[in-house]
Amino acid sequence: MLSIILLSVSGIASLFLGFNKSRSLLMPATLLFLLVALAVNLWDWNVPFTLSSAYNNGMMTVDKTTIVFSAILLVSALLVIPFSQNYIDRPQAQPAEYYAILLFALVGGIMMTAYDNLIMLFVGVEILSISMYVLAGSDKRNLRSTEAALKYFLMGAFATGFLLFGVALLYGATMSFSIKGIADYTNANVGNLSPLLYVGIVMVLIGVLFKVSAAPFHFWTPDVYEGSPSLFTAFMSTVVKTAGFAALYRLLAVSFTGLYDYWAMSIAVVALLTLVVGNITASHQHSFKRMMAYSGISHAGYLLIAVTAFQNTSQDAILFYSLAYSVATIAAFGVLILVADKQQGSEDFSAFNGLAKNNPFLAFVMTLAMCSLAGIPLTGGFFGKFLIFSSAFAKGGLNWLLIGAILMSAVGIYYYFKVVIAMYIREGKTEKIALTGLQQAAFVLSILLTLLLGVVPNLFADLV
Amino acid sequence: MQLTLLCALVPLFPFIGFLVNGLGFRNIPNSAAGVISTASAVASFVVSVLLFSNFLSGGSQPFTAVLFDWVSVGGLKIQFSYLIDQLSLLMLMVVTGVGSLIHLYSMGYMHHDEGFGKFMAFLNLFMFSMLLLVMGSNYLIMFFGWEGVGLCSYLLIGFWNKNVSYGDAARKAFVMNRIGDLGFLIGIFLIINTFGSVEYQQVFPKAVELFKAGDSTVFWITFCLFIGAMGKSAQIPLYTWLPDAMAGPTPVSALIHAATMVTAGIYMVIRSNVLYTLAPDTLEIIAIVGLATALFAASIGLFQNDIKKVLAYSTVSQLGYMFLALGVMAYSSAMFHVMTHAFFKALLFLGAGSVIHAMGGEQDIRKMGGLQGHIKITFLTFLIGTIAISGIPPFAGFFSKDEILMHVYEHNKLLWALGVVGSMMTSFYMFRLLFLTFFGTFRGTKHQHEHLHESPLSMTVPLMVLAVLSVFGGALGLPEVFGFNHQLANFMSPLFEHSKTVNALVGAKSALPHSTEYALMFVSVMAVALSMTAAWVLFVKKANVPASDETLDGMTKVIYNKYYVDEIYQAAIVKPLYSLSEFCHSVAETAMDMLVESTGKLVNVAGNGFRQLQTGIVGYYVLAMVAGILLFAVFTLRSVLF
Repeated sequence: MLSIILLSVSGIASLFLGFNKSRSLLMPATLLFLLVALAVNLWDWNVPFTLSSAYNNGMMTVDKTTIVFSAILLVSALLVIPFSQNYIDRPQAQPAEYYAILLFALVGGIMMTAYDNLIMLFVGVEILSISMYVLAGSDKRNLRSTEAALKYFLMGAFATGFLLFGVALLYGATMSFSIKGIADYTNANVGNLSPLLYVGIVMVLIGVLFKVSAAPFHFWTPDVYEGSPSLFTAFMSTVVKTAGFAALYRLLAVSFTGLYDYWAMSIAVVALLTLVVGNITASHQHSFKRMMAYSGISHAGYLLIAVTAFQNTSQDAILFYSLAYSVATIAAFGVLILVADKQQGSEDFSAFNGLAKNNPFLAFVMTLAMCSLAGIPLTGGFFGKFLIFSSAFAKGGLNWLLIGAILMSAVGIYYYFKVVIAMYIREGKTEKIALTGLQQAAFVLSILLTLLLGVVPNLFADLV
Repeated sequence: MQLTLLCALVPLFPFIGFLVNGLGFRNIPNSAAGVISTASAVASFVVSVLLFSNFLSGGSQPFTAVLFDWVSVGGLKIQFSYLIDQLSLLMLMVVTGVGSLIHLYSMGYMHHDEGFGKFMAFLNLFMFSMLLLVMGSNYLIMFFGWEGVGLCSYLLIGFWNKNVSYGDAARKAFVMNRIGDLGFLIGIFLIINTFGSVEYQQVFPKAVELFKAGDSTVFWITFCLFIGAMGKSAQIPLYTWLPDAMAGPTPVSALIHAATMVTAGIYMVIRSNVLYTLAPDTLEIIAIVGLATALFAASIGLFQNDIKKVLAYSTVSQLGYMFLALGVMAYSSAMFHVMTHAFFKALLFLGAGSVIHAMGGEQDIRKMGGLQGHIKITFLTFLIGTIAISGIPPFAGFFSKDEILMHVYEHNKLLWALGVVGSMMTSFYMFRLLFLTFFGTFRGTKHQHEHLHESPLSMTVPLMVLAVLSVFGGALGLPEVFGFNHQLANFMSPLFEHSKTVNALVGAKSALPHSTEYALMFVSVMAVALSMTAAWVLFVKKANVPASDETLDGMTKVIYNKYYVDEIYQAAIVKPLYSLSEFCHSVAETAMDMLVESTGKLVNVAGNGFRQLQTGIVGYYVLAMVAGILLFAVFTLRSVLF
């Protein structure tokens, strides 16, 4: 849990770095902070975990699952940072603040993966969300960015109310904020549970489902993702989603295992609805970025299938899927940032026309990312889907959901390949785009991870 | 684990060579590219030798090097691991040894080609795939390598893809191989279904436990696997791609289409010998297909005038002999012939390359003649190769071929007689090739005559090494009838432990009296000598030159045109397929279109609908969310409320 302290301190440190006239130090320093945090995070791997290793009187726990989830968050951040180059260079930019807020957001994210107490969940969600409200509006002079921030904040505040209200009701029913305490109460009073508990679960679920942008709580997502600067959209659609699913699964797995029959059907219906809305609307977009927003919604649907399945393998499937999805999404946004910069800010599919001619590497990165998101074999996305589907299949009785999901992944191939077609077949002019060394490294890392996950899935699947 | 590391290194070296040359072929100068890829092949050879000596000093115990868990789906766990045993080590020596020589040769032969770096990268990739194929400890890794070598073969046949017919040849090889691969894949699925594993060391003991000889399950498994072997090792009816594959650069013909890849099918059958011994019906099919291919291809070889085509048909025919050996359960004899054939056929192809190099690209033997004085090293080594393949003692080919024929004689005397006829044809077309190329007077143009020159050292050294191997390679398996201990058969005998429990004949010593063995040898040597003399009389003494294509008639024309097999396939399979596809295009596609398009339209309409929900007005969003929340709450609480 040292990584939380480290990230908080380094967030403040990077604010101080902002006093320096030279902005060139900021990015390397942030990367360094993240690497140290990652190392510290992994340091706990071989520590034997007992109850006594719970931190701060049962506020948080560190075990292999939380370490891996935190590592995914940190790796996502590491992959995103190199693409901030274009933002640093803008005259009105305030890079020190951006980096500091990103680091603080990660603190919130890690708390969401490791909380033992609903208060910590709430604090984590709020740290992450408020950071995101600010970053969504960081492009101050751009009306759409400001609009995105406002929308996100209004809707987010609404959802937070539900989350908090739900936590209060759960406390009222069980007299405990601890997720283990709640589990103890529900196990001890089977058949005689307070109605407050049931309502509380519904409210907490609504709060968290909002954060992971599941339908019908997804309305904010397309507008916010599209309006925010692409860099922070990449961060939002990966880090927030991963942290949200870590939190959701932890809550259900620890506290409400016994109430599976009560909540599972609702989550399954939400999953199907999310898949249908996400995929079908995505197929109808002209803007690549807006398509990615809907694609983000649809991937929440796939992850919800794993939550519904609730098998031993489901958590591994969520971990695997989050990693594969995050890596591919960040690579795609990385390419988008570089391309949009050369195309007068256009983020439409047509901005990619003929990209492969002068930028074969970028086109390849994008193609691989799209293949992974579409779930084509030999990429991580394929095994991610495979693990999720097989865990749902093992659960049994979810075949209607699986059939829907498979049909929807077919729709997915259609819109993911639109950009591939634009890059390789359509005529267009994009001059050669220069990459910094860090950007190249981030792309190469994303390619390697995607292929490794796709070719030797067992290296990762058996990790936890 | 030092041994595991060594095993991992063997395929890793060529793979690194491939990555370096493949990624940097535009930037790396030709001289460096050649050295990098040859060095990686040699490094892999050196490590293989280390592994071999380690194996011998360690008491010849099979060793499995597990690199990592690869796939686990339900109950099926597949590891990425290598199996080091007698069979994989022998194949390793052939692949890396002959492979290194051919890399070296390519440095000279392909030197002037603009795609040199790319070529060397492909050769490395081929080595890597072939090593996976022979080292893998389960059928899945074998399949991985199997597909990899197929891909490389495709890439290298079509290497000069500016020539359209070369591209067609590459595509033909690819398609023919795919047909075989489908069979192979079905075989693997059957194995998974039957045994729940693809690991050799789990499948084989289980097979002996579960099945008796003649079981139909094992028949189908082995038959499907054999279809794969037919494609890869060019047996009837899937052999027509191999002669066309000669479109590739000559070192490719030597490495892939003669010495290594095409023997993958034989390797696979030897590897699965337990299954095949359990399926006598499949063995019978293999023997007949093998013999038929041997005779058929040899007869086509009699009238070919392209130096590489003759060698190609000879390869098909020799592969037929190997399958004949497998069919009579003489597994170690087949392996013996794989090895000697790798030596002399690589030698012959590289020699042919050297001739083509000297002739400035000419491949028609009618335009050669009298080359022996101009390119002495090539002539001498080619002569050695010819003697070796014809089966004249004491060269390598004699021992291996004779051993096969002896086992066939024990099995069925008619098959043996036909086999001897085949070997007569072999020696006839090979000496015809030799005499027409190197004897008599020069029949090319004046310009070609001035151009004649011996090849550089990097090409002649591999020729000499291979020539030495072709002379002495037979020493690996000197037969008992001469008072020797058959080393190769003894070395390989642990591979057949399980087979022996099924059928005592496997690996058993020949029951024939020595006098019969001598008689068999005498007959085959006399037959070979006879046809050699016939070739000498026709092409040296009478100095006949094959007529030009137009003046052919009767049976000669039919054979010269390869029995019109390509045309028959075209009429019987390709044309009907085209008309079926035409039919599907016109009728079925319209129906499909309507179905697909209406689905697309539905998605479109729905998408449009969903899109219009997204108005961008926050008040509306909140309203929609509240509605959603109400629905969600009521749906979730339904069990509590009602």
